[in-house]
Amino acid sequence: MESLIRTEHLTFEYTREEESLKIVACDDISLEIPEGSFLAVVGKNGSGKSTLAKNMNGLLLPTGGVCYVAGYDTKNEETIWNVRQTAGMVFQNPDNQLVSSVVEDDVAFGPENLGIAPEEIRRRVDDALTRVHMYDERLKAPHLLSGGQKQRIAIAGVVAMKPRCIILDEPTAMLDPQGRDEVMDIILRFHSEGITIVLITHFMEEAAKADRVLVYDAGRIVMDGTPEEVFSREEEIRSYSLSVPFPIKLVGRLRNRGASLPDGLITDERLADYIVRNRKNLRAPGKAPYRDEEIVFERKSGKPLISVEHLVHIYNENLPYETRAVDDVSFSVAAGSFVGIIGHTGSGKSTLIQELNGILKPKSGRILVDGVDVTDPKTSLRDIRKKVGLVFQYPEYQLFEETVEKDIAFGPKNLGLPEEEIGERVKEALRLVGLDYDEVASRSPFELSGGQKRRVAIAGVIAMRPKVLILDEPTAGLDPQSKRAVLGMIDNLRSEEGMTILLVSHNMGDIGILADRVLVMDRGKLALEGTPEEVFARVETMRSLRLGLPPAAEFRDVLTKKLAEADPESLARFEALGRGTTLTLWQAEDLLVSWLNGEAETSRISDAASPEGGER
Amino acid sequence: MLRDITLGQYYPAESWIHRLDPRVKIIGSLLYIISLFLVKSFWGFGIALLYLAVVTALSTVPLRFMMRGLKPIFILILFTFVLNLFMTSGDVLWQWRFLRITRQGIYNACFMAIRLVFLILGSSLLTLTTKPITLTDGLEKLLSPFRKIGLPAHELAMMMTIALRFIPTLMDETDKIMKAQQARGADFETGNIVRRAKSLVPLLVPLFISAFRIAQDLAMAMEARCYRGGESRTRLHEMKFRSADVLASVLLVLYLAAVILIGRVL
Repeated sequence: MESLIRTEHLTFEYTREEESLKIVACDDISLEIPEGSFLAVVGKNGSGKSTLAKNMNGLLLPTGGVCYVAGYDTKNEETIWNVRQTAGMVFQNPDNQLVSSVVEDDVAFGPENLGIAPEEIRRRVDDALTRVHMYDERLKAPHLLSGGQKQRIAIAGVVAMKPRCIILDEPTAMLDPQGRDEVMDIILRFHSEGITIVLITHFMEEAAKADRVLVYDAGRIVMDGTPEEVFSREEEIRSYSLSVPFPIKLVGRLRNRGASLPDGLITDERLADYIVRNRKNLRAPGKAPYRDEEIVFERKSGKPLISVEHLVHIYNENLPYETRAVDDVSFSVAAGSFVGIIGHTGSGKSTLIQELNGILKPKSGRILVDGVDVTDPKTSLRDIRKKVGLVFQYPEYQLFEETVEKDIAFGPKNLGLPEEEIGERVKEALRLVGLDYDEVASRSPFELSGGQKRRVAIAGVIAMRPKVLILDEPTAGLDPQSKRAVLGMIDNLRSEEGMTILLVSHNMGDIGILADRVLVMDRGKLALEGTPEEVFARVETMRSLRLGLPPAAEFRDVLTKKLAEADPESLARFEALGRGTTLTLWQAEDLLVSWLNGEAETSRISDAASPEGGER
Repeated sequence: MLRDITLGQYYPAESWIHRLDPRVKIIGSLLYIISLFLVKSFWGFGIALLYLAVVTALSTVPLRFMMRGLKPIFILILFTFVLNLFMTSGDVLWQWRFLRITRQGIYNACFMAIRLVFLILGSSLLTLTTKPITLTDGLEKLLSPFRKIGLPAHELAMMMTIALRFIPTLMDETDKIMKAQQARGADFETGNIVRRAKSLVPLLVPLFISAFRIAQDLAMAMEARCYRGGESRTRLHEMKFRSADVLASVLLVLYLAAVILIGRVL
């Protein structure tokens, strides 16, 4: 097949001015992307994968080597517009790439720049909007749409230019799961229509849908192959600070127990299918690792620290667009526990956590935190801050001081603490977020890496020593390694410092592992509440709320459905082994090993009993 | 929430006035404003009022929507009225120490107040019946002949388009940063002026950084979508001068003639 994009020894270097550090974002890259293919590029933050993408449509020009797009050299100024029209680009932030305050005018922006006749623009805009399922919203203002919708409009804007290739730079990083699904569906659809796709992503499940995966690290392509080939090398992937899709993790665990599974089982469907088909001879001779050890999650419960009673919050009261953002919500939170709050965008989570912090005052209802009535207008905000700390989404966007130390000191200073104590608290907060005081305290927060900035911002809240720490999506937009580090740090705050944690997250896997209790919000109401086991066992309810399940529960659900078709008796034995739900990798491993060994045993006995014998 | 604030005050409807070419409406509004300054007598205002009433009726914009535009400048109107009332020399009707009211003062005060009210009502009709984005397109077209003398018509229009698009985004951003700093104990509401100005630093620094980041992202996105200035650019909505626009222009000329004539005769 003809290569649509071809790079020859592509090199891109730049100098970071603050440190006069020379950075090589692309180091001698020679790459061919055939027309019609779907390439996923994964790599940790700062590996240079975005730079590579920007070289592919001439937004950046190589400092060495050449990049050809549809035969045009990107360095040739005369054909640069052909390059950009051929390889359209969609960026990470859905807000910052839309130009017009009317959806259809925005989609028309590209064709207008190309000087296409108005009637033809009209046709293309309508066609592109229909294909991303946004035609009905064509006259709306972008800022009133959801992130997923905005991203679909950005894609439509590229499609209206009739590109042969769409390059997407982490298009789903800032979206909720629903928006992510919407965007992935659209991407897959355009790929099936023959458009070449280059997708840069942090989500390994998305990369697994491509037909080729590149692993990018420090400006080099370190792995290149089909998702089956690349993700089967789990150890190697991990060495580049990345992770693998859940089914691959599970395959690794089962192999360690002696089961022989082939490579390439990268999706839930494929793995479940293989296991169900080979259940009789897929024994895992190792003992089920945790079956006898009685590992039970320690679910904290105790004296309630927070109690919320009949909370109601209404926006735009008595106006036609009145919304009940929080509608008669009551719950309590035990001291020292970890509570997960889930619900899709617009379910009222954000309003709820802002009320817990006293930033918003409810219409009615009461919130007591450690004896302080947060909802009472007479309670001083300072008293509330001492009890409840709130870390907003993308907290690094609120950093403002010259040095990290001063920035973290902002909160304690506002509490009116003496100088020495402020200094002490800054040191402690930095230690708790895992940063070295001597190394970062006197640096500007803006020089730090993305993950470090986020830690500094979280430290700024921890330094106020709240009893309750609320975090809104603290891992959004981080690469897998930084994500794990931030979550580990939060778990530590609970276990070591005894803080009560409320974590708002879209990642069901994290909630399943970390939370003692889960609150599920839907259209302002508390739809479900309970331990993760209880909540995630309600598979149908969770699906109808469009929230999904932890990867292990998701896999179990797929397996259960396939098994129900193939062998209901076996399913009964499976269910008997693992009552309720499966939340973690090791639970899934344990359950499968026990069940597979049981199946092998059953088939041996039945083979021996039947006169024909087995087909050995 | 801050994002509910809409810029301008477009009243969505499908009236005859709404559908007019924005260029006609812009020029019409300009001529109307000029006509208000040509008026020398209350008779002239009678014509202006008639014109305003007809256009308002045609636009289907409710009267209370029109009046809303007057609220923010009520103080200004009052101030002008009082100033004219006391500061015009002429036949004294009433005097108390240095304050005095003259016949000419009353006349001037009423005259100026009516002129201001008409001015506001007339120009708000433009924004009430024209979407900001259409208005921008109209301005670009009207200003484009001046490109030859170096007026960056396209660039100005593009700036307005982007401003319209990003004002809600920046409002949102402000809201978020404000809340985040409040959660860290920032206080934007109490204290004297110096304290309050100082307390804005934690809001303004992140907001500026945010604005620069948006600008950078947007510039990159626009370039990726082949933006290269106004040269050889086509538009989705081409403006066409239809028969209704011709009719409106004729009516406009008639109105202007009537005002000038009445100014001469009466």
